[in-house]
Amino acid sequence: APAVLAQSPLVVKMQTSWPASDIWMDFARQYTTRVEEMSGGRLSVDLLPAGAVVAAFQVMDGVNDGVLDAAHTVPVYWYGKHKAASFFGTGPVWGGSATTMLSWFYQGGGDELYRELTQDILGLNVYGFMGFPMFAQPFGWFKGEVNTVADLQGFKYRTVGLAADLMQAMGMSVAQLPGGEIVPAMERGVIDAFEFNNPSSDMRFGAQDVAKNYYLSSYHQASESFEFLFNKDFFDDLEPDLQAILKYGVEAASTANTASAMDNYSSDLQKLVSEHGVKVHRTSKDILDGELKAWDGLIEELGKDEYMKRVMDSQRAWVERVTYYELMNAPDYALAYDHYFPGKIAL
Amino acid sequence: MLRFIRFADTLSAWFGKAFAWLIVLMAVGTGYEVFVRYVLNSPTAWALDVSFIMYGTLFMMGGAYTLSRGGHVRGDFLYRLWQPRTQAKVDLVLYFIFFFPGVTALILTGWKYAARSWSYTEVSVNSPAGVPIFQFKSVMVAAGILLFIQGIAQICRCIIAIRTNEWVEAEEDVMETEDILIKKAHEAESGGHI
Amino acid sequence: MTDPHVAIMMLGLFILIVFLGFPIAFTLMAMGIGFGYYAYFDEGRMWRSYNRLDETASWWDSTSLWIEGFLNNRIFDLFINQTYTVMSNEVLTAVPLFLFMGYIVERANIVDRLFSTLNIASKNVPGSMGVAALITCALFATATGIVGAVVTLMGLLALPAMLKARYNPSFASGIICAGGTLGILIPPSIMLIVYAAASGVSIVRLYAGALLPGFTLVGLYLVYVMGRSILQPSVAPRPTSDEVPDVRFGKLLVMLLTSFFPLAFLILAVLGSILFGLATPTEAASIGALGGILLAFAYRAMTWDRMRESVYLTVRTTAMVCWLFVGSYTFSSVFSYLGGEQVISEFVTGLNLSPVMFLILAQFIIFLLGWPLEWSEIIIIFVPIFLPLLPHFGIDPLFFGILVALNLQTSFLTPPMAMSAYYLKGIAPPEVRLTQIFAGVMPFLFCVLLSMVLMYIFPEIVFVLPELFYGG
Ligand code: NA
Ligand code: NA
Repeated sequence: APAVLAQSPLVVKMQTSWPASDIWMDFARQYTTRVEEMSGGRLSVDLLPAGAVVAAFQVMDGVNDGVLDAAHTVPVYWYGKHKAASFFGTGPVWGGSATTMLSWFYQGGGDELYRELTQDILGLNVYGFMGFPMFAQPFGWFKGEVNTVADLQGFKYRTVGLAADLMQAMGMSVAQLPGGEIVPAMERGVIDAFEFNNPSSDMRFGAQDVAKNYYLSSYHQASESFEFLFNKDFFDDLEPDLQAILKYGVEAASTANTASAMDNYSSDLQKLVSEHGVKVHRTSKDILDGELKAWDGLIEELGKDEYMKRVMDSQRAWVERVTYYELMNAPDYALAYDHYFPGKIAL
Repeated sequence: MLRFIRFADTLSAWFGKAFAWLIVLMAVGTGYEVFVRYVLNSPTAWALDVSFIMYGTLFMMGGAYTLSRGGHVRGDFLYRLWQPRTQAKVDLVLYFIFFFPGVTALILTGWKYAARSWSYTEVSVNSPAGVPIFQFKSVMVAAGILLFIQGIAQICRCIIAIRTNEWVEAEEDVMETEDILIKKAHEAESGGHI
Repeated sequence: MTDPHVAIMMLGLFILIVFLGFPIAFTLMAMGIGFGYYAYFDEGRMWRSYNRLDETASWWDSTSLWIEGFLNNRIFDLFINQTYTVMSNEVLTAVPLFLFMGYIVERANIVDRLFSTLNIASKNVPGSMGVAALITCALFATATGIVGAVVTLMGLLALPAMLKARYNPSFASGIICAGGTLGILIPPSIMLIVYAAASGVSIVRLYAGALLPGFTLVGLYLVYVMGRSILQPSVAPRPTSDEVPDVRFGKLLVMLLTSFFPLAFLILAVLGSILFGLATPTEAASIGALGGILLAFAYRAMTWDRMRESVYLTVRTTAMVCWLFVGSYTFSSVFSYLGGEQVISEFVTGLNLSPVMFLILAQFIIFLLGWPLEWSEIIIIFVPIFLPLLPHFGIDPLFFGILVALNLQTSFLTPPMAMSAYYLKGIAPPEVRLTQIFAGVMPFLFCVLLSMVLMYIFPEIVFVLPELFYGG
């Protein structure tokens, strides 16, 4: 259709909360290329790394003000405006996986609660969509070994969102920093242990240069998703088909991100061990128990707020039903894995 | 006009100096963090937030005071050669073009930004301690207002300098060591007349 | 005119306007907002609310919405956002603390003790008073980081002493000007914090990287001072025991213990805790400030007035540096939004320069900028123009930063704005002429140049410590 080709594309200014070298910039690009292709060139996304226009933690303000049209981030980065933000990215571990919780967002009433928080409670001028159910996040990087909750006392540790409240309850002092600032903060002595997200991102920003013990498996961020933010005025002014492309592009990118994450995260974990001499551990039972206990206290505390109680009730109801099905139905994958690749895993 | 200049200078200096004492709090507060973190192995969650809030408040609230004492850096290698009258004419025009628009934006948009932050009593995202930052965002508005008032005083200074070819200096204040020493040396040379 | 053209015009106009002498922080702010208004101009957005009005709207509503439309431009939000980013910049929190430490140490009555002790200690070295003056300057400058104070205090103390000992006035004043400027290079230097904030290079790596180059430069200065004293003894006669008393070793040790070591210990404690990652630079700076206060008390120099002076001067200098950041963050964000960064990078890469040619060109431009401008303006406003080009030429921004720090030593020493020379002239005896001071400074400028060449030939001087402390 020549009429369409004649008009120049509408440029969407989208900034992420990730440094330019992070694998998540590639994940964001999987979204933008899909959007551009699906729109037949009517949309063109100008994808920028953290700091290009606003700082990593300021993208919500940026999108709200219209300084950015869109952002690729996680809700915990603006949880200073309301702690409930964390429920939509990384909240309490009820037993469900990130896929369970992302499904809650789209099918279990999460999206309406999110709209209520952003638009009604905070009065923000944005739309947000969740995508990419992330794998459970490692407990993180330590200079020495940590085996018990007692070992954790006095650490200055980096994490984000409600996980920060959780780790504080477990006796660490917590700093929240954007991914790009973690290694410099380690070098400066601002923190002495940290988690970010996954083997690929961690390796790309140089975690292995500042700590050698990597603890996998943890309840602090057992689920999380990306948040795709759009300025409401910007979005409302688009034609309906372009709105649909921006919205459903999130679903499309979700699958692409998952495949890419599986490929990269797994091979980078091997690289960390073989090329960088990183010691990979599973987080101890003592620490996991400590995390669950700390979640109990936190859940009770947060439940005093009417809105947060409603969100948690909704999540609980969803997980109680859905994960019952998931777990009862799931075969023992470890058994099958061990059958074909004997002796590789020690859980 | 002179009275307004004195008023603005005093106002700016009062706020600038009052908030300057944050540096002592900052040194002591950060020192406390060092002690509990490295000696008692129990760091605080709030030290990071508190230190940047103090730093940010300190320099923002000191902006007008610095302006009143001519402390903002200028590319003045030509400027310093001119007559006060010429300096004042150029300054007068440039205050309208380069000073008031930005400072006004700081007040108005800063107000919008701070008001939103107040509406959800925003806390810092840097730690779970929940250190409030809505008051910190309001510092932009306060700093803008002080600068605006001081800016009007600077305009008055320009007008007087155009008339008299002499700048109205701010009242005696703390000086950099080098300025004191150089001034003393000149006084000694000229037989202490100044 | 395309957007990138507008960006170049913005930069050109800025450079012209700088020379009109208006406070630069506000010039940057206003130009950022003005050009940003153009860059972010969006008609739809401006009239959105106005267009939604229906016929029943009152005259007042429609007029106020129409006016509001003009102010409905995202540059204003961007400006506030950038201002807040500077206000919450964690690296810059160390700036007021180090300044405070500097102002306190400057008032601690330490410099005369230090100089007289070192004078005695170095008595048997060629050019002994010059050596003592240089080391005093270096140590004092390192602790305070404030060039003007070091040069004037030393100018009042060491210059007359050297002149009395029949030192060549030109030689003596060169030593003080060059030595007094070292504080901006040797960590904990405020200039390096500012470079870290402007470039995103880790401040601790910069500190580690600047250490050996700083010592190298001091070493070259010392070689020059002693070498010239040997080759040309008339410029630096051996002082008589009248001018520098003979002191028994035991007494000298006590003098050293009470003057040299406390200050050296304070510097080492601050630097050591930063470099070994024991404390953040901000934490170390607070320890330095508290330590400085203790030191001043120990020397009975702490008075209420001096405390007040230090506090007020801290706020003024901090405001000066940080408002410059407020202006430049907005300015440079609009500049790059318009595509200015892109044009410059295309232009420079189109020149087909080799990395070394680029490096020489960049440093030469910075050297030239150092004539009329001060380091804060150069680092905050002009150096960021070069930074995006570094990856193309494979130059490490850490290395570049250290070269810039060395280079900017010259900005205090080269006319027409040779601040060090003016400070010294301001307090020197009238028979010391400005031209003599400039002549005395020249050999030190050559040492700076030599140190830069050495850095280029042996980059290990820069990299060995950061790699040792923090890995590749
Ligand atoms: Na994480
Ligand atoms: Na100069």
